[in-house]
Formats: sequence, C-alpha cells, structure tokens
Amino acid sequence: MTIAVLIIVAVVSVFCVRLVDIQIVQADSLNATSLASRSDSTVTLGTRGDIVDANGVVLATSILRYAIEADPSAVAEFDRPAADGSGDVKVSADQAIGELASVMGLDPAVITAIVTADPTSRYAQISKSVDVSTYNAIRALDIPWLYYKADQSRTYPDGSVAGNLVGFVGADGTALAGTELTQNACLAGSDGSEVTETGEDGVAIPGSTVTLKKAVDGGKVQLTINSDLQYFAQEALAQRVTEVGAESGTVVVTEAKTGKILTAAEYPTVDPNNIDATDPAYRGAKVFSDPFEPGSTFKSITAASLIDAGAATPASQVLAPYEYKSGDAVIHDSFYHPDMRWTLTGVIEQSSNTGISMLSNNMSVDQRWDYMNKFHLGKPTEVGFVGEDSGDILPGGVSGPTQLDDQTVYNTTFGQGLTVTAVQMASAYQAIANNGVRMPVQLFEGCRHDDGTVTDAPAPSTGEQVISPQAAQDTVHMMESVATTGYAADALKIPGYRVSAKTGTAEMSNGSGAYGGAYLTSMAGMAPSDDPQYVVSVTIRKPVTITSGLAAAPVFQKVLSQVLKTYRVQPSTVPAPNLPTTY
Amino acid sequence: MTNLATVPVSRLGSPASAPAIEPRRRWLKPAPDSMPRQRRRPRIVYAAVAIGGIAIIALAQLLLTIGLSDGAYQVSAQQSKLKDLSRTNQALSEQLTALSSPQNLVQNAQTLGMVANGNTVYLRLSDGAVLGSPTPASAANAPIAADQALVPNSLLQPDPVVAAPVPDVSSAPPTAAPDPSVPWQGALPSPQTH
Repeated sequence: MTIAVLIIVAVVSVFCVRLVDIQIVQADSLNATSLASRSDSTVTLGTRGDIVDANGVVLATSILRYAIEADPSAVAEFDRPAADGSGDVKVSADQAIGELASVMGLDPAVITAIVTADPTSRYAQISKSVDVSTYNAIRALDIPWLYYKADQSRTYPDGSVAGNLVGFVGADGTALAGTELTQNACLAGSDGSEVTETGEDGVAIPGSTVTLKKAVDGGKVQLTINSDLQYFAQEALAQRVTEVGAESGTVVVTEAKTGKILTAAEYPTVDPNNIDATDPAYRGAKVFSDPFEPGSTFKSITAASLIDAGAATPASQVLAPYEYKSGDAVIHDSFYHPDMRWTLTGVIEQSSNTGISMLSNNMSVDQRWDYMNKFHLGKPTEVGFVGEDSGDILPGGVSGPTQLDDQTVYNTTFGQGLTVTAVQMASAYQAIANNGVRMPVQLFEGCRHDDGTVTDAPAPSTGEQVISPQAAQDTVHMMESVATTGYAADALKIPGYRVSAKTGTAEMSNGSGAYGGAYLTSMAGMAPSDDPQYVVSVTIRKPVTITSGLAAAPVFQKVLSQVLKTYRVQPSTVPAPNLPTTY
Repeated sequence: MTNLATVPVSRLGSPASAPAIEPRRRWLKPAPDSMPRQRRRPRIVYAAVAIGGIAIIALAQLLLTIGLSDGAYQVSAQQSKLKDLSRTNQALSEQLTALSSPQNLVQNAQTLGMVANGNTVYLRLSDGAVLGSPTPASAANAPIAADQALVPNSLLQPDPVVAAPVPDVSSAPPTAAPDPSVPWQGALPSPQTH
C-alpha cells in the first residue's frame, strides 16, 4: 500500500510542478505570445474637418479612397465560383489582370509590369487611390492576391469657386495653401488605434476590443463667404478680364455693418481638385497676398481724413490746375484741362490729382499718416490668412512720413507711392460706409468641433471709430456724385438704388523704380448711399483695351446688383443730395 | 476493557449492615448505534446536488459562450454590411455634392433654355405696388454667361450631367406675343404678423 501512495504522490507532484511552471513562472510570456497571435491592431482614422461657407454649403470635405496593392509572390491561377453556381472556374493570372485593368481603366500591360517586376516580393502598389465605386467593382472580381488599404483624401465639390480661399492639400494630405493651411490646427484630425482579439477566421471576439488611443475628428471651419455670390463674382470678373485683355483681377465684397468678407474673388483662381491646371503664381489668394498701388480709389480715404480733421468740407474750394508743383514734386491730372474751380466733391468726381494734393496741404504729413494707421493700412488684417501681406505705407523703409520726399508725400494723396492689398482697401471703404466705425475684417466664423463646442471664434467687437460719422457720411455723398455725374456714371447705374463709388487708374511700377505703361484700374464703392450695407471693391490689372476705371465699372455694377438682390436690400427712398462739384 | 478498579467493601469501619461483595460491574457500555443509516443518506444527496450544480453551471456557461460567439459572427456580418452601406453612401454623396455645384446648376439651367434676369423688380405686399419696370429676361441682358472654362470644376469632367436640351422655339410656328404683365388674381397675401 505504501508504494501506491508514493506513486500517486509522485504523479500529483509532477502535475503540481508543471502547473506552477505554466501558471506562475511562464505566465507572462505565454500570455503575450497568445495575445500576439490572435490580436489585430487597427488604425482608426480621424477624419479631417470640412470647410463650409456661411450657409453651410460644403467647400471642402474628406472622402475615402483605396490603395490597390498586390502580392506578386501569390499571383497565380485561382478558383472562382462560377456565375451560374455550377462549381468553380479556374481564372488565370492574365485573365484576372485583364479584368482588373478594364475595371480600373488602365492598360493591362502596365499592371502586368508592376506585378511581375519582382516575383519574390510580397508587396507591389498598383494604384495609389481609387474611388469607392471602382473599389467595389474590384472587390467583386474576388482576386485573392489583391490587398486594399483605405485612406483619406480631400475633395472640393464646388471646384474653383472660392478655390483661392479654401486652398488645397498635397498628395500626402498635408495642407499647402489657403484655409486648409491657415486653419490646419482646427481641421486636422488625429488617428487612433485599437487592438482587437480575433478568432481564426478573423471574427472579433466580443468584448476584447481595447482602444489604445481614441481617434479625434477634425473640427469644421465656417467661412463668412456666400459661395453663390462668390461664383457670380468670379464669373463676372473672369469674363471682363478676358474681354479687356487684362492679366488678372480681384473682387472683394464686405458687409458694411460687420466687416465680414462675403466674397473675395480673383481671376485666375486655382481649382483645388486640379492644382496643376493653374499657373503656380495664381495658386494662392492674391486678395490677401498681393499688394498694389491703389490709385485714385485712395482719394476717398484722403478726403475722409481731411474732413474728419476739420481741414476741409465737401464744399471746400480749390482752383485746380492741370499741373501742380510744390517743392520737388510735380503732379499732373489724368486729362488736360484749364484751371478748374472745383469743390472737394468736384475733385472726387473728376478724380483730380492736383486738387487733392493742394487740399492735402491743410493737413500735416504726420496727421495724414495717423489716419492711414487708423484705417489699419500698412499692417495685416485681423484675418491672419497664410501669406497675407501687410502693404507698405512707408516706402523705402523710412521710419516716419516726414522722411519721405515731396513727390511721394503728394503721390500718396491719390494712392500712388504706397501699397495696399485688396482686402485692406475693402476694409477702409467699410469704415467709411459704416459711419466711420471700422469693424475687424473677418473671414472665419470659428472652429466647430464634433461635440458642438466652438473655438477660435473671433472676439465680438464693437469696432473702432476711425473718423466721425459726419465725415463718413460726407465722403459717401461725395462719392455719390461719381455714380450720378462722373464719367463712369452710365456704367454704374443700378435702377432703384443710390450708389457711391470711386474710380481708380493707377500706374503700375515697371519693377525698376519707375512707372511703366501698365495700369491697374479699380472701382470701389458702397450701396445704398442713404445707409450703406455692402462694400464692393474691384481691381483689374493691366487691361489692354480699356485702361480707365471703365474697365472695372461693369464688374462693379453687376456684382453690386447681385449683392443687393441676394440680400433683399430695400431700394433707396430718399433722393441723392447732389452736392455741388464746382463753385 | 475497563480499567476501573472495583472497590471491595472493607470489613473494618463499615456500617452495620455490611453489604456483600458485589460482582465486578462494567460501568461503561458501548453506545447503542441506533441511527447509522439515516446519517449516511444526506452525504450522497449533498454530493449529488453539488455535482449537479456544477454541471448545470458549466452547461449554462457553455450555452452563453455559444450564444456570445454566435453574436460575434452576427456583429461581424452587420459591421461589414455597415461598411458597405457607408461606402455606397459616400460614393453617392460625392456625386451629389458635385452635381450641386454652381457650375453644374448653371450649365443645366442654360441647356434648359433658362436665362438669368438682371433686372430687379420689387412687389410691395402692403399695397401691391410694383417698384421697377418688369422686362422679360433676354440673353443679351443676362448679367453673366456661364462659361465653364473660366470657373472650372474638374469634378464635373469629362462632361457635366446635363438635362435634355429644349427644342429650338424659333422653329415653331409663331404665336401671338404673350402679354408680359401678369395680372394678379384674387386678394394679395398679406403678411401674418403679430
């Protein structure tokens, strides 16, 4: 009996030792090996956020695309269930390649080359990205040596509408320009990862999914742009630019009461779906990044500053010659005329360089530059767009306006010798239109996250009183004379509305310190003049057939009519004051 | 075996009536084993209940695991169905957003023969006054002509989806020119305000 007991004890102790060995000593390594063999780690994609316009129209969104990869070492004949269910059909590699090629729209020889390049390799990429319907068709072919990888891509449903503002991403998804780049911190999502234990056939074991890192979707950026108005402005501008043989153009529409940009169109504009079709010089947003000498549209700003400083009124008189000399400066008007008895209103209506230069003598140089700073010229706008230029109101890098030469000092009264961007000009006119209150320029409404929170919304602002309300209204009424009796009046009429505008024909620098023969024509204004709601500013660069403000006038009139129609602005009921232009 | 010593009664000092020496008594008797069988019976019942319980628990766990695994397959099938539907949804959404683009809408409108009217006329509801002069839209007065090349949308390539073109009206027999002004029938709708 004792021997049996001993044998039993021996056997049991062997089992105990083995048990302790497995459960305690080797537990960790065995667990790890087992987990590694059945767990499947996946990357959960964090979607990049959308870019939408003021009404929620999607301008940029993320979509799934699939990379088609093959395993060259496994390319061989395979079996496929027959269509009529009568058993398996043998499909050769060439036949499979042929079917694949016809679905993908590629040449079978191309696919064969990729797949047979290195027969021992386990990986070869046939296509970097195919869309969903092609992917479904390829999967339906049931080719066992193909592998698929899902990836995010970006699509821009409206094409080149607001393409300059929306920007684009590169082939690998990195933001390269526009809102995509400026608001990348908001738009970018972050990928997560999770580990799931799966059975032999790939089905997940329930309850075994461990989220190592949660995927975070990007936020949605809302622009203040109205995409339909943007499309209209782009079409109107593009047609006019090609009609007058010009190089490029811009149209900016802002809301007078709020400073929001409703349209910032330019031509040529990039189509973010097809970047290569556009010249690299025009793939950005020139409305923000391209400074220019504004020309006579700047006279309104000078006049507003004069009236606010008390140095002039709309009825101030000046005997304006064709040529005016003061110190080293020589100023000419754009058309020959004898000495004219003009009021400040007349100077604005006729766009007289000599008139405005003479009247500017009533203000000191420092005062005028003070006003330019108050109008926020010479510094970037509050939008913070990528590549935005600040303009230059102190050319030559001087430290103060008193160090500028006489010619430049006078040139700046009529918008030559300093540079601004299209958005800055529109913003200055917005201050004049809004009773002298300049609102911060706004393009982005904010970043709306998935959970509903909104971050990065511009702080609400009551604006800044740049000039007095009386000075602003006087300037608006003076500009009305341009639209009623100026040389471009016929092109500017909008039936039922009082319009204020200012023409501009600026000489463009030839790049080596002198003015060449090219012009930058512009038209800026607001409507309705009794209570301005919307500001439109148009520039056309280097027109050939028409080189005056008449080149830009039709675009101005069409865009302003469309704006007034879109926002149902009531027609004017109070007649224009018709300030006297001569004395 | 009892160890108790029997105490014989001594003659000396004994009470008057000296009892006789009694025979050796056995003080201890074995306990009567009156109910052995009844005590053994609960041990088997308890064992049977315990083993039966274990078996039932094991069975229940087996059934739950089978159900859970079956559910896992259903979940997997549903998830794959969801993925397929999401893909279809995305493909259709892509098509939809491309078709909603302004370029496509204008192209279709033009093919249908529609012309934008640049002339804005207002109808004042309070008194029915017409502000402005209504004129029919004509291609010559359209504010813009939709030129696909100038504001392109490459998502609509190669050809945008275009409605069937309207047959040329000018080839039809001439009819009397319709009266451009449309008289309002009935009462004007007045705005419902509080």
